[in-house]
Amino acid sequence: MGTTIAAIFLGFFFGFSLNKAGLTKYHKIVNVFRFTDMAVLKFIMTSLAVAMTGLFILRGFGVITFPNIPATYIVGNLAGGLLFGVGMALVGY
Amino acid sequence: MKFILNYIRKETWSPYVAGILLGVVGILVVLVANSLLGASGGFENLAGMLGKWVAPEAFDNLYFNFIMPPGITFGVFLLIGTFFGGMVGAATSKTLQWGKKDAVNGDPQWKRIFGPQTWKRWVLAFIGAIFMEYAAGIAGGCTSGLVISGGMLLAPSAFIFMGGFFASGILTTLLIYRRRY
Repeated sequence: MGTTIAAIFLGFFFGFSLNKAGLTKYHKIVNVFRFTDMAVLKFIMTSLAVAMTGLFILRGFGVITFPNIPATYIVGNLAGGLLFGVGMALVGY
Repeated sequence: MKFILNYIRKETWSPYVAGILLGVVGILVVLVANSLLGASGGFENLAGMLGKWVAPEAFDNLYFNFIMPPGITFGVFLLIGTFFGGMVGAATSKTLQWGKKDAVNGDPQWKRIFGPQTWKRWVLAFIGAIFMEYAAGIAGGCTSGLVISGGMLLAPSAFIFMGGFFASGILTTLLIYRRRY
């Protein structure tokens, strides 16, 4: 029950940040692929840097253990990525 | 205080501020639930549940039994929250277009490239979403589940995936836009 409420609450801020960064707009997503508006990349890289720093510090202090990290299987990851890009450029979500 | 309220009402934040918010959410997800952020996983859990109910034989395979077990998981609740978060985000900047005429097809750049018809938007969104969800199934995550949550744990798969979708995304956009690129 606790995790359910936490999931909805965290999901709320996830959606909120995506909306405020403009990732819900077609032109924001597609213009990254046209190199005319890099807001999406800035957004992703900032969140990566913040989360990485926080998580590795917390692990260093022994507060958290990492969950299962996404598996690496190069062909699958790459093929999935290539197909994903087609969909992303078409839809812009 | 007034400054913060005014900033929340802005339609588009600086990507750095929004990115910090997402980064903090990413940390909290690991801290509170020992889980990862993700959007596509929740849809797959739901689809698996629906499939097991409609066609149990077709869905009795390795993928839906072990990799993506069906059920109302953490990811599904995350999706519910994401939906309302996005809605409230739009409502705070007064850009929420619930039930308005141009709500689905309101992007001027889309209209310039594909034409003004709304059905085109629906059809292309449907086709593109099939591509995205299927690809996320192959790769093990989408932009949030693999690039952001995998990347913040420094998983190599995240960066392979990112390279892949940027390469094909640029190529697809080139093909669609041609001279207007």
